[in-house]
Amino acid sequence: MRIVVLIKPVPDPASAGERLGPDDRLDRAAVPAVVNGNDEYVLEAALKLVEAAGEGEITLLSMAPANAPETLRKALAMGAHRGVHVTDPALAGSCAASTARVLAAALHELEYDMVFAGIDSSDGVGGIVPAAIAAHLGLPYLSYAARIEPDMAGRTVRVRRISPTGYDLLEAPLPVVIGGTQALGEPRYPSLKGIMAARGKEIVTRSLADLGLDSAGIGGNAATTAVLGTQLPAARGATEIVRGSPDDGAARIVEFLAERRII
Amino acid sequence: MPVVTASTPPTYRLTEEQTLLRDAVRVIADDLVAPRAAEIDRTGEFPQDLRQLLAAQDILALPFPVEHGGLGGELLSLCLAIEQLSRACATTGLILAVQGLGALPLLMAGTTEQQARWIPRLASGEHLIAFALTEAEAGSDASAIRTRAVRDGDDYVITGAKRFISHGSVADLITVFAVTDPDAPRHARLSCFVVEVPTAGFAVTRLEHKMGLRGSPTAELAFDGVRVPAANLVGDEGDGFGIAMRTFDRSRPGIAAQAVGIAQGALEVASAYATERRQFGKRIGDLQMVAAMLADMDAATEAARQLLYKACVEIDAGSPDASRWSAMCKLVAGDAAMRVTTDAVQVLGGYGYIEEFPVERMMRDAKITQLYEGTQQIQRLVVARALLGRDD
Amino acid sequence: MGALWVVAEPGPDGGLARISTEAATLVRELGVASGREVVGIVVAADPAPAAADLASYLPLVLTIADPAATSQTWSAVAAGHVAALLASEAPDAVFVGAGADGRDLAGAVSALTGLGVLVNATAVTWTESGPAVEMSVFGGRLLTTSGFTGGRGIVTVRPNVTTASPAGTVGRVEARTADTTTPLPAVRVVDRVSEAGAAAPIEEARVIVAGGRGVGGAEGFGIVQQLADTLGGAVGATRAAVDSGWIAYSQQIGQTGKIVKPELYLALGISGAIQHKVGMRTSGAIVAVNRDADAPIAEFADLFVVGDLFEVGAALLERLRARSG
Repeated sequence: MRIVVLIKPVPDPASAGERLGPDDRLDRAAVPAVVNGNDEYVLEAALKLVEAAGEGEITLLSMAPANAPETLRKALAMGAHRGVHVTDPALAGSCAASTARVLAAALHELEYDMVFAGIDSSDGVGGIVPAAIAAHLGLPYLSYAARIEPDMAGRTVRVRRISPTGYDLLEAPLPVVIGGTQALGEPRYPSLKGIMAARGKEIVTRSLADLGLDSAGIGGNAATTAVLGTQLPAARGATEIVRGSPDDGAARIVEFLAERRII
Repeated sequence: MPVVTASTPPTYRLTEEQTLLRDAVRVIADDLVAPRAAEIDRTGEFPQDLRQLLAAQDILALPFPVEHGGLGGELLSLCLAIEQLSRACATTGLILAVQGLGALPLLMAGTTEQQARWIPRLASGEHLIAFALTEAEAGSDASAIRTRAVRDGDDYVITGAKRFISHGSVADLITVFAVTDPDAPRHARLSCFVVEVPTAGFAVTRLEHKMGLRGSPTAELAFDGVRVPAANLVGDEGDGFGIAMRTFDRSRPGIAAQAVGIAQGALEVASAYATERRQFGKRIGDLQMVAAMLADMDAATEAARQLLYKACVEIDAGSPDASRWSAMCKLVAGDAAMRVTTDAVQVLGGYGYIEEFPVERMMRDAKITQLYEGTQQIQRLVVARALLGRDD
Repeated sequence: MGALWVVAEPGPDGGLARISTEAATLVRELGVASGREVVGIVVAADPAPAAADLASYLPLVLTIADPAATSQTWSAVAAGHVAALLASEAPDAVFVGAGADGRDLAGAVSALTGLGVLVNATAVTWTESGPAVEMSVFGGRLLTTSGFTGGRGIVTVRPNVTTASPAGTVGRVEARTADTTTPLPAVRVVDRVSEAGAAAPIEEARVIVAGGRGVGGAEGFGIVQQLADTLGGAVGATRAAVDSGWIAYSQQIGQTGKIVKPELYLALGISGAIQHKVGMRTSGAIVAVNRDADAPIAEFADLFVVGDLFEVGAALLERLRARSG
């Protein structure tokens, strides 16, 4: 069982410090990077599958700035076996479409049964890159996975895709691209042994040239989108704070709701 | 003057790996250790469940080299873990610290065969090890030790008593310092042995009832003609004093880490209290006298922490001033812990004095960091000597 | 001048997804402002019901019938048709909802056509260089306006931002021939399972009563449910509550959950950290109950009651029940 897990370092969402740089691109140096939340969930799913099968390898794949290996370390410490880091100065400021092409090109060099990706990332929140990668690779795309059940002998996989009323049960032949969600189950914290073992795991670096891609048509210079301007959102009014007994609070809430014609 | 060696890391920040490790231990401390802390203090029972937890999480493997099943033995990594555990429960932090302390003579002076024999089960946490130097009449003055070890054929026979030995009643191995040559100069009288217990002639004769660190058993140990094979001698005869002193150079930061952890835990309780408790129409943290106390507590804790981290890096880099770094960080951290916990009780006012809040326990726990592994006065002697040199 | 397309997403029972009515409204208004034709696209096994619905929003709806659209995942089927249609018709912009199916479609069509994507549009205006798309980023701290460097592209429209409003006149529906070559591999839908626990989609609720870490456990959600029932609303939750297993992921609101915009958001035991705030900050009225007077939610709630959520909740329940007699 060979699984490639796409990992995106993103500005730590808990920091509330993300900002755009002077070029109106995301300033990735403003705030320390962490592994995108959803990526940890799909990595955990991959780890559980490999553990249950008693065999298998998990390769991390990341398109990220040069300092990404530090962020990949946690994912390696969780139990992934190796990493591939695609990095190139020309990739700074890449749009989503470009990112998908680059990751697809990197995947062409790898062998795998499944590619797992977090369904979206906390910085862009677009949710389109995994679908685009699958289309580039001509692979089936199974999204919004809450459960992943491969049948290696039969070379198929079944996925529960979250739906408004419950889930759809999907099936496709391997290899596939799967977009996973938080519903897959909480990621493990790396064990101390895992943390120490991570330092011995290999991270291979690939540039655009290594992937056979021409920087003229890809990356920041060829971005399909651009920020035209920014502004601050309108502020809400002042907060009314109520202290006192629970019944005082309840009374004021009822009054408030009535004033607003909500009840 | 302190000397920076070539292998001293140039950065003042924790590496990603160290941060991950610290955070991993913090999660365990918050989720699994903290809920037990009050009960451990109240019952005074050694928390075997938490000892198993530390073993299962490979935390007890931190002080040991990889080739024997450990996680590398880096001092800063070890101290990061002790600090996080002590933040939740000083007794639990000490389980890790003593495991490191007790094994240091073996790691520093043991033969390959001795290390291969004992370290794997220490790293796995299956065995605990204690450090038995102190005696009733030999506290700060280690050269006043009277426990004797007499060569008899292929064995040594150990007779005497040790006092105030942490984990003395729960350890499987005891590192014992005894006099092998009473006529030698002061610093060459002692030798170091590993005693595997239980064994004939060995007994735990007393367990102390202490002000703090109540879950940690502090034992008086009697050695009544205890036989150990000569193969259990660590280093050569007469090396004992030097081994003990070199041990403290690496173990004192562990106590500093415990102290920093205790201080941080108290600071967090006091800060949280100061943001919730309201008097005179505002939260008490906004009253300047309270704010000033908290600020000083935070600064003292951070200063102790940064000195500790720096000391660990210097000691691991082989600094010739290891004794100075070790003594200094323990001195500063112990005093910080006592001050911060006392002030934490003060911030909580009457609530700080009752068992409902943990700060009174933290204050009682903090005191020992000014006393063991060398009193603060001994630490000052070491620092002064490093500063002024000897009067030759 | 190229047209503006709205690709409709399938709703429950073969109808139209609610987000598509919102997107259609937004794009129709953009069409009026820019003087451009607006066309709806429906791909389905039987497109007639959804097309009829969409035609009450848009002047022209093109339909493509493909039985694979129900036996396989919709986006893979639809993307092939949309990409083929794009090649022959060349619209200036393609809009789709930023829900699960819409995003899947946008990603696939982007890869097939090379068009860029702007996501989570909250407003769109037209400039000489194409659409100017407004988005809220960084957990709501900043609004950006972005465009396509090539003047054309795909836009995903954020749910619960535009209020759907029919056009007043009914547009015409035209069938288009299905494209017989499907460039994307099929993913078979083996089964569609309804789960009893699955509540009505919270994105559509007028009132949401949400519980966070302060609720303390699955049993604690009892008061949340009772208040939701009494107010005729849905139950929501923070990631902390979901991760702790107290409530299903389908009820999660926030960055990794759902974005909602109810008339009333009643937050119980929720601190209001940024990841949650993202999901509900544009609610009509925000009322919060929390023991911690300094919880971040106090900064953006309309009404903040300092107190124990169970005590205040019980008192509130009693008062609400007394009111309704």
